[in-house]
Amino acid sequence: MLEGAELYFNVDHGYLEGLVRGCKASLLTQQDYINLVQCETLEDVKIHLQTTDYGNFLANQTNPLTVSKIDTEMRKKLCREFEYFRNHSLEPLSTFFTYMTCSYMIDNVILLMNGALQKKSVKEILVKCHPLGRFTEMEAVNIAETPSDLFNAVLVETPLAPFFQDCMSENTLNELNIELLRNKLYKSYLEAFYKFCKNHGDVTAEIMCPILEFEADRRAFIITLNSFGTELSKDDRETLYPTCGKLYPEGLRLLAQAEDFDQMRRVADHYGVYKPLFEAVGDGNGGKTLEDVFYEREVQMNVLAFNRQFHYGVFYAYTKLKEQEMRNIVWIAECISQRHRTKINSYIPIL
Amino acid sequence: MAAPDLRSELDSLLLQLLRDLEELEAKRAALNARVEEGWLSLSKARYAMGAKSVGPLQYASHMEPQVCVYTSEAQDGLQKFWVMRASAQTPEELGPREAVCLSPALRRRKGLTKTPEPESSPAPRDPLNWFGILVPHSLRHAQASFREGLQLAADMASLQIRIDWGRSQLRGLREKLKHLEPESA
Repeated sequence: MLEGAELYFNVDHGYLEGLVRGCKASLLTQQDYINLVQCETLEDVKIHLQTTDYGNFLANQTNPLTVSKIDTEMRKKLCREFEYFRNHSLEPLSTFFTYMTCSYMIDNVILLMNGALQKKSVKEILVKCHPLGRFTEMEAVNIAETPSDLFNAVLVETPLAPFFQDCMSENTLNELNIELLRNKLYKSYLEAFYKFCKNHGDVTAEIMCPILEFEADRRAFIITLNSFGTELSKDDRETLYPTCGKLYPEGLRLLAQAEDFDQMRRVADHYGVYKPLFEAVGDGNGGKTLEDVFYEREVQMNVLAFNRQFHYGVFYAYTKLKEQEMRNIVWIAECISQRHRTKINSYIPIL
Repeated sequence: MAAPDLRSELDSLLLQLLRDLEELEAKRAALNARVEEGWLSLSKARYAMGAKSVGPLQYASHMEPQVCVYTSEAQDGLQKFWVMRASAQTPEELGPREAVCLSPALRRRKGLTKTPEPESSPAPRDPLNWFGILVPHSLRHAQASFREGLQLAADMASLQIRIDWGRSQLRGLREKLKHLEPESA
């Protein structure tokens, strides 16, 4: 790509960049969060959200209001905005949007397959699927018995098809294999997305590549942390790590051998970016968990993406920031509904 | 049946009743704390994994209990409740205890899934695996909190029975005392 995106970016994508910046300005502020934290019931939360950009999005909900309903409606609102961006986009921004939806598609596929294991009806699960990851062949996912079946019969026409390279096998889909499938699909997807951004070059690559590298490393750390004490072997674990991050290749090899949190921390100490993150992790039930620390770092990087112009990263950053806002609201709502307010301030403020 | 003997028996019974009540209060507070902790850990797991990944979609509507409640009769005729793993002891080994499994509806949180495999799996599956193999630690904390809560619940039920029996004993003794010494009622 020629340098100088500022010369011709606005021809195709200027309208959408302006729109997404406007949407970003309507994210909840610190004052909004303070108001939400002081609510006593979920009805109060609904009233406070009416004064924000969310407006009357809960108006059609029947009593009683639950946290799950709030979450579903927020997701629908994000989906409407995203679909608007996507419908008005031109190439290569449209491919960028397709890449963004692939992660939600993977989640939906796994949700449907788990539901099939638990003998749930497809309709019940379709309602709970993420709207951003909707695709027409979704209803047929539950008939597949093995990953090869799944690929050949259902997903070969979807954008997920190229990510099935390492996942083809004849093993029946039980819980362990579904977990392996999820992580391998996500690994292929992340590496493909990274390559797309890198090949695009320009400001988009400068912004998106560090974000995706962080995502890859974050997944490696979290997979390692969660695999302690499970039946997942170290070799299997290593095949799940995405290789487009800073940890590749030495860090990933060391991480694959780690057996507890301290060994993981020692691997992270080799990297200037991750050492302070691990130092911020509190121990036991008191302080922050590793996931919290990673979410904070993600929010930092996504907010910084808005400091540059003429790149696609603003769309990715906006979607991720909106998701963090939804996580914050759901956390506050859960603390309110469980009347357990000690940890209610553990949300991550964005603006 | 001398009155002083009765009185001292009454006193010791009353003291035992108060001790039981204190223990019951402590156990109730502990159970509330465990259950609250468990629910908060579930919320933390939802924060880390996504709101729809920890919910009713992940477990089957019919499940077999992993933990059962057994009752046994002690020497003084009081019933005691025991919480045991369903596979830990077969009914023959229990001897004087009868196995009474409460209905699966009460044990929703700790159930077995009915899998499509034709052969019955000998080892009951960990309900933690309903949410995937790589689950965050908050989910494990939640499971541990709820497990502790189960044990506390069984203890509380036994204590409650002892307290009720103690109160009826107390009433009976007071009646006897009234008949023996009508002026000291």
